[in-house]
Amino acid sequence: MQTSTTAARRPRVSASQRREWLTGYLFVLPATLVITLFGIFPIAYAVYMSLHRWRVRKGAFVGLDNYLAIVGDWWGALAFFGGLLLILVAHWLWTDAFKRADGAPLLGRLLGAMVLLGSGVAISLGWQLMRQEGDRRFLSGLMRTVYYGFTAVPVQIALALVIATLLFQKLRGQELFRMIYFLPYVTPAVAAAAVFRSIFSPRPERPANTVLEWLGLPPQQWLFETRPVSQILFGGLFDRLGIELTGFWAGPSLALVTVIIFGVWTFSGYNAVIFLAGLGNIPKQLYEAAAIDGATRVQQFRYITVPLLSPVTFYLTVLGFIGTFQAFTHIYVMRSPATRDAVDTASVVIFDTFYGLSNFSLAAAQSVVLFVIILILTLMQNRFFGRRVVGV
Amino acid sequence: MSDQALTTATAAPQERAKAAREPYEFKLSHIPAYLALIVGAVVSMSPFLYMVSTSLMTLGETINRRLLPRTPQWVNYQTAWSEADFALYFRNSVIITAIVIAGVVVTCTLAGYAFARIEFPGRDTIFMVLLATLMIPGTVTFLPNLLMIRGQVIPWPSLMNTLPALTLPFMSTAFIIFLFRQFFMGIPHELYDAARIDGAGHVRFLTSVVLPMSKPVVMTATLLTFVNSWNEFLWPLLVTTTPRWRPLGVGLYTFISEAGPETHLLMAGAVITILPVLLVYFLTQKQFTEGIATSGLKG
Repeated sequence: MQTSTTAARRPRVSASQRREWLTGYLFVLPATLVITLFGIFPIAYAVYMSLHRWRVRKGAFVGLDNYLAIVGDWWGALAFFGGLLLILVAHWLWTDAFKRADGAPLLGRLLGAMVLLGSGVAISLGWQLMRQEGDRRFLSGLMRTVYYGFTAVPVQIALALVIATLLFQKLRGQELFRMIYFLPYVTPAVAAAAVFRSIFSPRPERPANTVLEWLGLPPQQWLFETRPVSQILFGGLFDRLGIELTGFWAGPSLALVTVIIFGVWTFSGYNAVIFLAGLGNIPKQLYEAAAIDGATRVQQFRYITVPLLSPVTFYLTVLGFIGTFQAFTHIYVMRSPATRDAVDTASVVIFDTFYGLSNFSLAAAQSVVLFVIILILTLMQNRFFGRRVVGV
Repeated sequence: MSDQALTTATAAPQERAKAAREPYEFKLSHIPAYLALIVGAVVSMSPFLYMVSTSLMTLGETINRRLLPRTPQWVNYQTAWSEADFALYFRNSVIITAIVIAGVVVTCTLAGYAFARIEFPGRDTIFMVLLATLMIPGTVTFLPNLLMIRGQVIPWPSLMNTLPALTLPFMSTAFIIFLFRQFFMGIPHELYDAARIDGAGHVRFLTSVVLPMSKPVVMTATLLTFVNSWNEFLWPLLVTTTPRWRPLGVGLYTFISEAGPETHLLMAGAVITILPVLLVYFLTQKQFTEGIATSGLKG
């Protein structure tokens, strides 16, 4: 009992309690060590790397030069990221800022709308400035990532909700269907992507083009097609109207859409299984009560199912965006020299900067930027949907 | 008394499952739902059907847009198996996955138990920090981790092309810890009090009381880890520059470029890679999907 002087001042810590603590620390030690070493420490080290010149071997400290190489123009970056944060401010003004004052919602909404407009201008101006001077490979990759996330996630969640509602009607063979729909999620992505590469090959005899032929449509280049889908579908119409879509507004290329199809195929079933469990947790009495009050099936779906499923939807959306923003394997396998950079999302560009260009510090800086964007996105989802979610 | 608590704890899910099974009654209004589900299932399955069918074709048949091979060419599997060193990759994948599963189950059981049952200062902070790592994208960590494995961060000998490089980083994940913690928190306190009176400490209690009743969660953790480890691609691609410890996924990737236009062999390779996962999935699919559904919901 050498520590009796300190123990006397604080609430007494008995020997048995100290043994309890020690047991606790020893129990969590292995897991904490692994996760700290390979999950937390690397972030700090990535930041450290991004502040140096680092091509294979570490060079001189260069401050924020690598970040400047990515964003090109500090004012552009400020406008862009500031614009993103302004969206949050606009949302706050719209909903909360003037809750207390009377007659103020109108004022709040007016201000909110103006701020939202300002944020749109800031984002687009900032983006243009960044594109002029910055790292085009990475910024284009980010744009493709945004296309990927913002199309794949809503589609796979909507499909999953449909599948789950259909399965929930206590049909025969529910388990069989559930098993089939879940299958893509457990399939190794390398193998599945290899199969997709073959299905969506530009050759006319392959499945995707065969289906098009059955439908009387011309064969497509699929994974080799770098033109935007909007161009392929409405190109003639645009020409006649004299519209030319460029940059962001042209939309994703057909090659990228093929990659998106893969993502939807993989995750719809997984989402459906989780929705199905969520549906099971909704009390039956609610539907019975609503039916007595004369609510139709559609109304029940809209006013009971959707709000009570919102925590699940929220969880799946967050998971979906984190997943799509770091998707790598299937894109890496499905791309080929002929695709050029048409499917290179941000994570593929980062890998290439490191693996192909051996520019370690730039790759580290790019990965930190991607991380920050994922953080902002999660924050936004929390702000927008987190509170509308019932029961969270 | 402890026996009683144990039986009620394990019996509850079974009763619920029985109650959920209502007699099926066919209604005409179900037909559109069935149609939609069948169409969806066919679309969802079509890549698998295409893969298996093509893997049994001759080279000529793959070019002539046939749906099915005239006579199944089982020899394709033999050819693929020997052309790429699938035997070696297969063995590597099995070893890597087994080690990772053992590591994850041990470390995460211990950590999950401590976070649920043992009181110590800083417990909740440590838990929250670990949980926050779920948000960190792999694209941020792979580069520093690779330098670490090469021995360029902390000066230890390079671990490239070794088993530890492939297994160590996956030995523990916050999600599985979370899973165990949730499950252990549901075990009644009285059980532990009873064990204490009998003179059992945490280790004895964990191994002789908690673990025997934790089969469902151990099963879920094992299956999740199995799938993740078997399907891992980026990391093994980086740390294996020789075939010595190269797992199936990376082996298949190198085979893709070698097989070139020989689609039938490529598909045979894909079947070889997918088959073990599918086998495990079919055998355990009930626990598997239910485990994922409930664990996903709690997350």
